Amino acid sequence: MSILTEISELVQKGRAKEVQALVQQALDEKISAKEILNNGLCPGMTAIGEKFKNNEVYVPEVLIASRAMTKGTDILKPYLVSEGVEPAGKAVICTVKGDMHDIGKNLVKMMFEGSGIECIDLGTDVDPQKIVEAVKETGAKIVCLSALLTTTMINQKSAIEALCEAGIRDDVVVMIGGAPVSEDYAGEIGADIYTNDAASAAAAALAALKNI
Amino acid sequence: MKPGKPWKGTMTRRERFNAQMHYLPFDRTVNMEFGYWDENYTQWDIFTENGIKNENDANKFFAFEPPKVLGVNLWLAPGFESKIVEVKENTVIKTNWEGILLEEPKDGHSSIPKYIRSSIETPDDWKKVKEEHFPRFDKSREPDYAYFDKTASDERDYPVGIDIGSMIGKIRDLLTVEGLTYAVYDYPEMVEDMVETVCTFTEDMLDKVLPKYHFDFASGWEDICCKNGPLVSMDFFKSVVYPCYKRIGDKLHKHGVDIWYMDCDGDVRPLLPYFLDAGINCLFPYEVNSCLHPADLCREYGRDLRIMGGVDKIQMIAGKAEIKKYLESIEPLVARGGFIPFCDHRCPPDVTPENYLYYLDLKEKMFGLK
Ligand code: B12
Repeated sequence: MSILTEISELVQKGRAKEVQALVQQALDEKISAKEILNNGLCPGMTAIGEKFKNNEVYVPEVLIASRAMTKGTDILKPYLVSEGVEPAGKAVICTVKGDMHDIGKNLVKMMFEGSGIECIDLGTDVDPQKIVEAVKETGAKIVCLSALLTTTMINQKSAIEALCEAGIRDDVVVMIGGAPVSEDYAGEIGADIYTNDAASAAAAALAALKNI
Repeated sequence: MKPGKPWKGTMTRRERFNAQMHYLPFDRTVNMEFGYWDENYTQWDIFTENGIKNENDANKFFAFEPPKVLGVNLWLAPGFESKIVEVKENTVIKTNWEGILLEEPKDGHSSIPKYIRSSIETPDDWKKVKEEHFPRFDKSREPDYAYFDKTASDERDYPVGIDIGSMIGKIRDLLTVEGLTYAVYDYPEMVEDMVETVCTFTEDMLDKVLPKYHFDFASGWEDICCKNGPLVSMDFFKSVVYPCYKRIGDKLHKHGVDIWYMDCDGDVRPLLPYFLDAGINCLFPYEVNSCLHPADLCREYGRDLRIMGGVDKIQMIAGKAEIKKYLESIEPLVARGGFIPFCDHRCPPDVTPENYLYYLDLKEKMFGLK
């Protein structure tokens, strides 16, 4: 098995320490950081995301894989910067005002990063205005809004309205998700994309970025 | 607004609950709801105008007939002392009664805390916490016999259940969702010992009360699923949690307790076969939005599975027409038995009081005494 395939498998199994060691070994073997990311870490995360989408694994397995992936990317970061690797795109991501649930949002972020999309994570309980500022500042083309409460879904709409008011609604693709949210609701509030799970979210984001 | 009148009936509350849960003929459905968010007590005019400040007040006001549940402390004894760790400009960082480090706004304008870290991350942490907060023998683990005698006497005409607590949900609370995930992976023996600890407390308690009282049901709480399924590793659940349920289920069955409901939100389908096998045969307050319409679930599990709850809160938020359509969709299930309908979680403040009253009236019209 090649070292990159091995990294991918270990990410899927969540073996953080071994991922760390192998990523370092791969770097020592002069494999580029970009290649380690694209052909080792990311495929591992995509594979686990796919299994998650098909209900073959559940949230714990994805969290464990995410942890392993993060350990690997932490080592790669400085090398990626010096190699001048460009991300596939940028996304501003947050849980909306009034809502503190962040596990789903964090999984979406991990799957995005696993697909090479850079994430600007604003955290939880985020004001619409902060989202607008982040988009302006970073030039992100995707905005991800997570809501887990029926009482805070409405703030996904407020966030979209704030983007409209700032005149930047058409510059971004707005994605929404979270337990009470649905495809219909996305239509109702004028969001562009709804997906049921984090893996589909990353695939949809990549597709959207290609269309921009 | 006038207080609700008790629904008419021809059976006692105890007879009705047992008949409805055992698929025997019953006069009408049990009239109960599962409470509200804190916000409802300040935002709903029917509550503020009628001085309703908590669930007890609301149950009295609407004349609901929830079953009573008895129990002892199966958890921390004593809890952690809440300590302020750091005062920042607008927030304070402190530990709560379960030892979780959290950050919350100083002025208390919002009750939303942000959890930072559990006090248990390694086996050494657990060893210390177990010694200090999880004694097997403690006064709080003793049943209050005088209260049990009074509440669970054989002559009672209302249903009484025994609380068997939680084998993994409260541990999830203590460790946080991510913390539990990492701990199961990094230190499985530690989490196994945590589950064993609470299971032992539960068995001790059952040994004391089951020979003395005839309970109508047992109740448990886990909340260990989300809309994408279990929040605990399936392997761990099967090898550690499920055997504990089995042990408890065997004790319950030996003493004739054959209804055991479990409060577990989200998509419970992966866990359900294990629940059923151990004797957990009722979901409460079965959450529709994150799983399936109850009719679909019942089609799969037939009469082995009972449901309490199962009225989709999303439809209750949507409006009157949606509420009516939804209640009609569960009418055959209520008639069949083994299904006590109520809002599928604590009723959120985004259901309007008007729609809530409409729902309660319609529920009586459809499922009350004919
Ligand atoms: C864990 C949890 C908590 C934890 C949160 C910890 C944390 N760091 O996030 C704590 C204990 C803090 C908590 C608090 C509360 N909670 Co809570 N919580 C849950 C629980 C059990 C699981 C949620 C979760 O993490 N799921 C796992 C993740 C992976 O799933 P997910 O978020 O849905 O994300 C997936 C998809 O939705 C999607 N996705 C998510 N976001 C996005 C974004 C985009 C753009 C896209 C495309 C996709 C996407 O991808 C993810 C992965 O596939 C649910 C139960 C349930 N049935 O869901 C209740 C639940 C969400 N909570 C609920 C409630 C009521 C509360 C409280 C109000 C309780 C209280 N009275 O204090 C508070 C609210 C605090 C606040 N203001 O936010 C209710 C909400 C009911 C309602 N009417 O909306 C639920 C449904 C429980 C219930 N049945 O009543 N909670």
